[in-house]
Amino acid sequence: MSLDFSWLSDSLYQRWLLTGIGTTLLMSLLGILLMMVFGIIGAIFLHFRTPVLGTITTILVELFRNTPPLVQLFFLYFMLSSLGLSLTDPATGRSIPLFSGFTCAVLSLGLYNGALAVEIIRSGLIAVPAQTVEGARSLGYTRFQTFRHVELPIGLRLSMPAMTNNVVSLIKTSSQAALVAVADIMYGATQIMVETFRNLEVMLLIWLLYVVIASLAVWILRRITILFRIPGYGVDRP
Amino acid sequence: MTLSGSRPLIEMRDVRKSFGTYEVLKGISLSVNDGSVVCIIGPSGSGKSTVLRCINGLIPINSGTIRVGDFAVETLKSDKALIPLRHQVSMVFQQYNLFPHRTVMQNLTMAPIQVLGEDPRKVRDRAAALLAKVRLTGKENAYPGELSGGQQQRVAIARALAMEPRVILFDEVTAALDPEMVSEVLGVVRDLARDGMTCVLVTHEMRFAEEVADEVFFTDRGVIVEHGPPATLFKSPSDPRLKDFLDKVL
Repeated sequence: MSLDFSWLSDSLYQRWLLTGIGTTLLMSLLGILLMMVFGIIGAIFLHFRTPVLGTITTILVELFRNTPPLVQLFFLYFMLSSLGLSLTDPATGRSIPLFSGFTCAVLSLGLYNGALAVEIIRSGLIAVPAQTVEGARSLGYTRFQTFRHVELPIGLRLSMPAMTNNVVSLIKTSSQAALVAVADIMYGATQIMVETFRNLEVMLLIWLLYVVIASLAVWILRRITILFRIPGYGVDRP
Repeated sequence: MTLSGSRPLIEMRDVRKSFGTYEVLKGISLSVNDGSVVCIIGPSGSGKSTVLRCINGLIPINSGTIRVGDFAVETLKSDKALIPLRHQVSMVFQQYNLFPHRTVMQNLTMAPIQVLGEDPRKVRDRAAALLAKVRLTGKENAYPGELSGGQQQRVAIARALAMEPRVILFDEVTAALDPEMVSEVLGVVRDLARDGMTCVLVTHEMRFAEEVADEVFFTDRGVIVEHGPPATLFKSPSDPRLKDFLDKVL
C-alpha cells in the first residue's frame, strides 16, 4: 500500500481546505462565545436558585446534555427551516432561510456545550470558599455584587481545566456541521474524497488538522489560565 | 452602666437563634458602650461567633432585638438595607476571608469604592495610611496567598478599617495563626483599642482579654452565664461553669 498525496497540489482542493479551516475556526469561535454566554447565564440561574428560570435551566441542561449533539443539530436545522423564517435578499429577490446551516451549527454547539458549561461553571462557583463569600457579605456587598466581584471571577478561574476539555469537545463536535452542508474542514474533505478516492490520505490530513487546531486551543487556554492565575492560591504551578 | 445622656452603641435584648431544631442562642442580652472593648469568651459551640454574626446581620435572628447605633438590625431584611449597617460594623474573621484574586491594596479599596461609592483616589490614600498602621507598607501589590497568616490577618484588619466603621467585630482572629504571629496581630488590635475604636472580640486569648477588655462576657450553651470587668471575672469567678472553664484554659 502506498500513500498518494499528489492531490494536495491541486489549487482547487487547497482552496476548499483553507476555506474549510476558516469556517471551522469561525464556527468554533462563535460556538465558544455562545457556550460561555449560555454557561454563565445558566449558572447564574442555578446559583441564585431563581424560582422558574432555575427549573427551566435544569430541564434544558438535562435535555441538551443527555441527547446526541448530531440529533440536536438535525432537530434545530429541520425545525427552524420548517418554521419558514426567511429573509428576502434585496439584491437577487430570492428567499433565503434566516437560519442557515452555519447558524444552526453555531447554535447547536452553543447549546450542547453550553449545557455542559453550565455545570462546569456551577462546580467552580461551588468551590469558592464560603469564607470568601462571607467576607464580601460582611463588607456590605449585595448577593449580586458578591457574585460579580468575588464568586464569578474566582469560580471561572477554578473551572478553567474542565472548560478547556469542553472547548476541545466543541471544536471536535463542530465537524458534524458538514452534514447540514456547512463548508467546514470535514465538508471540504468529503468533497475531495468523492473526487479523488484517496480516502485514507484525506482522512490522515483531516486528522492532523484537528489535532493542530485542538492543540492550539488548549495552548491558548493554558496561556489564559496562567495569565489569570491567583498567586499563592490553590495549586500554584507555572 | 451608661454615662448620663449616652446610650450603648450596641444593645442586644433576649436574642434567640435556632439552626433547625438546635437552639444556639437562648436569650442573649448584652450591651457595648461606644469606645469600649468587650471580649466574649466561652467553650466551643457556646454561640460566641453566632452572637457576632447577628450583630452585623450576617445571620438573621428568630426573636429579640439588636440595636447598633440607630439601626434596629432585626428589621433590616434586604441587602440594600444592610449596607449602612455594614458601613458602621466591620468584621474580621478567623480565616481572614480576604479576596484571594485581588491584591492587598484592592482588598482594602474594593468595598469602599464598590459598595459605598467613594472617590477611588481618596480611598487609595486612606488605604495606604491604614497599611502603614498595620505595618504592611510595601505589600500593596502582593496577593493574599503570598503573605503569611499574620500578615493576611493584618490586611483583613486594615480592610475592616477602610470602611471607617464605628465598631469592629473580631471572630477568633488569632485562632488560625502560629504562636509567633499571634502577637503581631494582637499588637494591632491593642493599638486600635487604645485609639478608642469600639471592639467586640470573640477570643481564646485569655491573657489578652484580661489586658484589653473593659468588660468580659462568658457564654455557655447559648446563654451569658456571667459578665463583668476582667479583674473580677478572671480573678474571682462566681459561676461554677466559668470556674471550670477557666481552670481548663488558663
